[in-house]
Amino acid sequence: MTVELTLNEKKLLVVLGSMGSADAAVLAEKMDARREAVVQYANLAGERGLVDVEKHVSRRYTPTEEGRAYIGKGLPERQLLESFEETIPMRDLQSHPLAKIAIGWMRKKGWIAIRDGIVQKTGATAPGPDEAAFARLGENGAIGDGVGVADLAKRGLVQEEETVAYTVSITPRGRELLSQGLDLQEEAGTLTREQILSGEWKDLPLRRYDVTKLPKRAYPGKVHPYQRLIDEMRRILFDMGFEEMAGGIVQSSFWNFDALFQPQDHPAREMQDTFFLGERWPLPAGYERVRDIHEHGGETSSTGWGGTWSAEKAEQCVLRTHTTGLSIQHLAAHPKPPVKAFCIGRVYRREAIDPTHLAEFEQLEGIVMDEDVNLRHLLGFLKEFYAKMGFETVRFRPGYFPYTEPSVEPEVYVDGLGWVELGGSGIFRQEVTEPFGIEHPVLAWGLGISRVAMLRLGLRDLRQLYRSDVEWIRETPTYGGGR
Amino acid sequence: MDPGDAHLRRGAVKMAIITLPYRYIERLAGTDRQTIIDRIPMIGADIERIEEDHVDVEFFPNRPDLYSPEGVARAMRGFLGLEEGLSAYTVRPSGITFSVDPDLADIRPFLGSAVIRNVNFDEEAIESLMALQEALHWAVGRGRGKVAIGVHDLDTVTPPFRYVASPRDRSFVPLDFEREMTMEEILADHPKGRDYAHLVENFDKFPLIVDADDRVLSFPPIINGELTRVTAATKNILLDCTGTDRKAVMTAVNIICTALIEAGATVETVTVDGEEMPTLAPAERVVSVAECSRLLGLPLTPQEMARLLRRMRFGAEPDGDSRVRVLVPCYRSDILHDWDIFEDVAIAHGIENFDAALPATSTVAQEHPIPALAGAVRSVMTGLGYLEMIPFTLTNERVLYTNMQRDPAPGTLRLLHPISEEQTVVRTDLLPLLMEMLLANKHRELPQRLFAVGDVVEDCTTYQKAAAVSIHPSADFSEAYAAADVLCREISLSYTVTESADPAFLDGRRGDIIVDGRIVGVFGEIHPAVLGAFDLEHPVAAFALDLRAVPGYPVPPGTP
Repeated sequence: MTVELTLNEKKLLVVLGSMGSADAAVLAEKMDARREAVVQYANLAGERGLVDVEKHVSRRYTPTEEGRAYIGKGLPERQLLESFEETIPMRDLQSHPLAKIAIGWMRKKGWIAIRDGIVQKTGATAPGPDEAAFARLGENGAIGDGVGVADLAKRGLVQEEETVAYTVSITPRGRELLSQGLDLQEEAGTLTREQILSGEWKDLPLRRYDVTKLPKRAYPGKVHPYQRLIDEMRRILFDMGFEEMAGGIVQSSFWNFDALFQPQDHPAREMQDTFFLGERWPLPAGYERVRDIHEHGGETSSTGWGGTWSAEKAEQCVLRTHTTGLSIQHLAAHPKPPVKAFCIGRVYRREAIDPTHLAEFEQLEGIVMDEDVNLRHLLGFLKEFYAKMGFETVRFRPGYFPYTEPSVEPEVYVDGLGWVELGGSGIFRQEVTEPFGIEHPVLAWGLGISRVAMLRLGLRDLRQLYRSDVEWIRETPTYGGGR
Repeated sequence: MDPGDAHLRRGAVKMAIITLPYRYIERLAGTDRQTIIDRIPMIGADIERIEEDHVDVEFFPNRPDLYSPEGVARAMRGFLGLEEGLSAYTVRPSGITFSVDPDLADIRPFLGSAVIRNVNFDEEAIESLMALQEALHWAVGRGRGKVAIGVHDLDTVTPPFRYVASPRDRSFVPLDFEREMTMEEILADHPKGRDYAHLVENFDKFPLIVDADDRVLSFPPIINGELTRVTAATKNILLDCTGTDRKAVMTAVNIICTALIEAGATVETVTVDGEEMPTLAPAERVVSVAECSRLLGLPLTPQEMARLLRRMRFGAEPDGDSRVRVLVPCYRSDILHDWDIFEDVAIAHGIENFDAALPATSTVAQEHPIPALAGAVRSVMTGLGYLEMIPFTLTNERVLYTNMQRDPAPGTLRLLHPISEEQTVVRTDLLPLLMEMLLANKHRELPQRLFAVGDVVEDCTTYQKAAAVSIHPSADFSEAYAAADVLCREISLSYTVTESADPAFLDGRRGDIIVDGRIVGVFGEIHPAVLGAFDLEHPVAAFALDLRAVPGYPVPPGTP
């Protein structure tokens, strides 16, 4: 038999060799170890068939705080009974400190009768089983199950405690092994510097570890799974030669809506859909060109929306409803071709929160402006980007967005879900680009990336992205797994 | 771009969903239901649901002319090549006149009208007309403010008609009621009155339409009179569209009239203050073939372009070698610009038939410095064993300030119309949100070390902060100090430290991070009362840092 026993198991066998069988607490004392440790050694040795471990569960009862107050003096009704002779006026009895509890019990047990305000002993006042049990409790500090104990427990005088004892006995196999002789030299755990330098390690019995037992799990610091997805998208766009944009969460209505040719009476501009703020922001120089576009189409072939454009309405600040306001500002600052830029940022919609709708979420947006870019190139960028994201099959349908013309809705094929609408795209209307001196077509596309995150991370509830369970982040692998 | 339109659908900005009964649409379109279901998405629509006897389709808000089976059939016949070019609509004069009271100039000045004869109403046709009316109220009328539509049984009233500004105590029997009510009573007690009272209640006088005998046809934009109710027996209709925008009013008139002509009716004009309307005449645009070809990346001849446009029901003929003369149907209110016509060329060609290609554009990628800095923070903090969190930016003052024992930051932005008590302000700090995360993860194994890096907003300025928390039985000042110090060192931020007075931290166990004489961060042990406010049971070591202090942090641009 080639069993590799730990040193502690060997020590346990040696002790049991003389005793045969013993309680774990006794063994612990002999081995100078904690009882829990001895049980652990015994279980190990038990798995090898060298010892038997028997578990005994027993209940015992110890006094509660109230119970302790009566120990040595007797239950309150006994104390009160003994405080008077045969009779006593009720009023006098009631002045006793224990009267409140005790009078009821004395009557219940039939020890007294009360007539005309006079309390009279009945004579049947022998101690019941509860008192006997209580007396034993006084002597021993604790009692086991027995007659009367339940009554004491019901009155809250004792509390139940469960104790577990273990009896360990050596088996014939254990004896056989013991008779062959055991090497009791101490095993080395962690090697010390001295042991390594001196070469002592060569002669040390090294403790062997059980490879089937996983140590306590370690958790690394981690980038959030959603951020990793965002960084993956950024990387794809960098690879495609795009410049990154970033900007403020608060935007004026001018940049969020008007510059994008959203009419001032558009429903998206009502307070039901957009978070408005009390703050106002002055219009940029040259805003009149945007006004003219709205009112009559400016110098383009457009008719505009007609009506009167309100500068006051354009000054109202909002939490950005998209990042397109950043795109047009970027283009206004860089009107000469070529421009390829993207932005991943948080956007806001006035939505009641539920598993698939949030008031804030991330959006990705890309723009390409150059001489002679056209609709085919828009589709080309979309195909390339989605393919790099792992969506190989893409199709296109006509779409509608207020600031693009033509507009295209891309859909990707997802196994198990079918065709999924994953964003919007188009070419910026001339009404959008002309006021800022942008003379070439601007291809634009956007993508709600929380939707991609749900697909990729297998989420059912979008809120998990923003109010995350630590356990979920710990268990989501850093590489792979999410695809 | 606006890919979140799924979000829009639930709010006021819902889409128009049109019911197409198969029997009716098959007869009108001259094709079978499967062809319709297969091809309709390619003219710009989403199939909402397919039922046994009808299909529900969602059309885009720029195409109200598709909000009726008649309008859809007209477009489908062209798209499928069954009937191409402009639908020519003829109108005859009815001789009926309408006057508009000049007192309406500041109330609801514009009126469009028409007479529609020989309508053949069954229940389905009435329902379809009501549905079109409702969809137009939403898409063109902006909830009846800009345009409100009334249809009346012409044979119950006597022309000429007058559109007047009436005293508010004028009474009549409104639709669905049996007794006379004053207009003020209607606003208070009639369901439609309550829904739309906000559109008129501030005016001294109310809009009213009456006939030659001073009987009431309508109280626009609120409710019609019971008198002119349209029933299955109705043969002739008087249409009124009133509103605040002349163009929108005429769009509604044109869409309803042409839909009813498609259904077999005839339209006659009404003379409104001397102007005979509607003409139902197309508008003309001459567009450049080269410009269209360039935009679409599709080489076209004038002939090809004109042919494609005729499939979209435009009138279109080549105009010399480089142009096409386009007649835009009166119902196409979405054609604002030449490019709107080019989009229809693309749709007629088939969006699915374009070859995707990448342009030759050559550019160099460039990371923005703010996300780059955030990336560096992430690298340091994860190296220290911290888990990243991405908390909401909308929160409330209880979490942000009260629980933290801090005074509200003066630049805190409050939402004018919050949607819940939990989200009323934009965050000015990340630390309180991390404390909330610890509470949400109270049942998870300790230690927990969490960090966040992201936008905060004060006044209207967005900038980045970083924050970290560590909760476990031996979290202490030194842990917080060491973590704050290593982050500062790793992002090249030289700093000094003084004792802090931040009430979120425990006195004697808190420090301020000072850069150029300004407090830019704080670290230490969270105050036990703050732990209590977040229902936490172990010490928390924490720090927060304003990343604007980091050398090279870009000056925020002058937005909004």
